[in-house]
Amino acid sequence: MDLVDLIEEKRFLGQEFLTWLWFKSDERGGSIFLPEAGEDVQVIFAKHMILVYGEGDSSEKVICQGLQTELREARTGLAMGKKLEQARIQLVRGEYEWNLSLKATLLEFRNIKSPKTMATSEESDEPEAVEGRMLEHIGLHEILMRTVDQLFRMFLEVRIGAGWGQELTRLREWVHQEK
Amino acid sequence: MGLLSSSASFVRYTVEGDLPQNFWEFIAERIALHSFRDIDESYEERSVGWVSVLNMFDSEFAFASYAAADHVVLSLRIDERKVAPNVLKKFCLKEEERLKKARQIPKLARSQKLEIKENVKLMLMKKAVPVPAVYDICWNLADSTLLFFSTSQKAQELLEEFFKDSFDLGLMLQVPYLTAEHLLGPDSHAALAEITPSIFV
Repeated sequence: MDLVDLIEEKRFLGQEFLTWLWFKSDERGGSIFLPEAGEDVQVIFAKHMILVYGEGDSSEKVICQGLQTELREARTGLAMGKKLEQARIQLVRGEYEWNLSLKATLLEFRNIKSPKTMATSEESDEPEAVEGRMLEHIGLHEILMRTVDQLFRMFLEVRIGAGWGQELTRLREWVHQEK
Repeated sequence: MGLLSSSASFVRYTVEGDLPQNFWEFIAERIALHSFRDIDESYEERSVGWVSVLNMFDSEFAFASYAAADHVVLSLRIDERKVAPNVLKKFCLKEEERLKKARQIPKLARSQKLEIKENVKLMLMKKAVPVPAVYDICWNLADSTLLFFSTSQKAQELLEEFFKDSFDLGLMLQVPYLTAEHLLGPDSHAALAEITPSIFV
């Protein structure tokens, strides 16, 4: 299958992951336990979401903005069968905090605000300092990607496993739950 | 939007193909060969090449400044001369009017209009300042992955083509399904291929 067909046919995978991630984060007040790493990460959905329904010319798009408690419209959208295509997420792991938008179809990482670190303020132009700053940026992006990958793997294992039916029932209950 | 900016955006690729044994020599040679060439003083329409992520005017890369531990960090720079369609139209009409008056004819032939268009475009192109665009890449050599700091599809297509030309290596955009295959491993590929969309309501 070529890439264009793959994107079209498997578009649901990224959208289901984002929706599941929202459900998981809501289940324990923003905390998700990563079995692979043996630690909790904070995943907060806030401020901005894009939901879609249908494809091509007949597709609809809903943009929801507001604080976490005001994302009722997005929940209503889910209950009406729309799918989560993009979400603004605050992700906290250990001492680091990122804010980013995840776009489902292509798994794009957008507008990432990386954690502030000590070295960011050291603006020396020495080649070593510059390389250090560069490696620090790369390192922070890699931790972020690893965390998103670990969450994605967690979803995939449930998704292709025997427990998906049960998880789906809980997810549907959450979709219809009054907020 | 770039690697060092305070608000970065990127997509992920895997790098397809084997790296040569003498990688750092190879990369130095290929980057030099495909480094950015300035067209400010010429009339060329377009120039594409590699520059330093720290300075878009640096295409020399003193002390292999593109190497950061086991990463190659570069910027893809594209300078392009463009003429806005409405500007082209305006100057074509102006030239047509001038010619009709000079020759005292009511109408110009289609072939004359086409010739005017060609000439006017060339004239405007020479006057146009090349517009630059710069996109960072971060290539992780240890796991053959690459971050491209742009979500523009046009820029992604350009990168895929230019990366292949520069290094004889392919790039594969990591859409969720391909990431999933990679994360789960070959034993789960069949199960992954079988899943169909679930209804959440």
